[in-house]
Amino acid sequence: MAQEERDQVVAEITCHEVAQWASAYLEEHVGDERKRQIAVHLAMCAGCETYVKQIATVRDMIRQLSQVEDVPSNMGRLRQAFVDRLNRP
Amino acid sequence: MNVDASPLTKSARYRNSADRTAVSCQLPTEGKSDNVLLARLRQGDEGAFAELVTHHHSALIRMAMGHVANREVAEEVVQETWMAVITGLDRFEGRSSLRTWIFGILIHKAKDRGVREKRHVTFSSFEGASDEVGDPSRFHQSGKWVGHWALPPQPWDDQTPEKILASQQAVNAINRAIESLPGTLKNVLILRDVEGVEAKEACEILKITETNLYVRLHRARERVRQAVEVYLAGQQPAL
Repeated sequence: MAQEERDQVVAEITCHEVAQWASAYLEEHVGDERKRQIAVHLAMCAGCETYVKQIATVRDMIRQLSQVEDVPSNMGRLRQAFVDRLNRP
Repeated sequence: MNVDASPLTKSARYRNSADRTAVSCQLPTEGKSDNVLLARLRQGDEGAFAELVTHHHSALIRMAMGHVANREVAEEVVQETWMAVITGLDRFEGRSSLRTWIFGILIHKAKDRGVREKRHVTFSSFEGASDEVGDPSRFHQSGKWVGHWALPPQPWDDQTPEKILASQQAVNAINRAIESLPGTLKNVLILRDVEGVEAKEACEILKITETNLYVRLHRARERVRQAVEVYLAGQQPAL
């Protein structure tokens, strides 16, 4: 592609806009025209391609980090309250 | 040349790679199992209650901490939430999912406690100052390329989520970034990315529009991305 044509395609939507739409794009919450603009831009712009990949990586890391389960320190008291609930008059 | 084929292939690749690495988050309160769980809870099944608490406790604590001063107060708010769940079980009509109901109670109680502690003033002023996604100086401010990268992000090369998370320092940096998010951003990040709640349900819990949800979700992810970027830059050998 000629440099001029390439510039026009990239300029249809700015990098700043692509960055702002990155999560909505990854979660497919963008309209068809916006989706096309972003997809075309990503094919031409290494910076935005890197950025969107990084946001996807962050999303996946947070999901993996969240697999830790936690129990409240006062679980015994909560269990008792739960049992007592059935014994209420 | 065909300008459509390549970008579509690329964007599909992002989604596929995300699907491969995402950990499935099937909670006992989702879908049909909601009715089963509710029935067990109403019959006084302690195991069902323990299961429910274990699944949600960590996320509830993190969400509460977005609104109150410290972990101790957050524990109290979550305790109050569970007590409200216990006493309200018989009145719960099932118009929303059990999870939506529980998180709704938590948010109401945490906000109420936060207001009483006068922390809402701090948060709203903080959020007002952070409308930008990322650092605006990374984009050209004028000229032909206004709005395009002046300082594009450096690729994380072969850094997969698993490789980054193998470092305790990276895990700490990510956790710190999440903990320091203002409440409204933290709520969205925890519901969507930690709990895996669908967008529609998250909007119902938070009483916001889907567009607003994605704006907040992205601001939250961007702050975590910046923390990872800083961590990885610190790992580079000095030139």
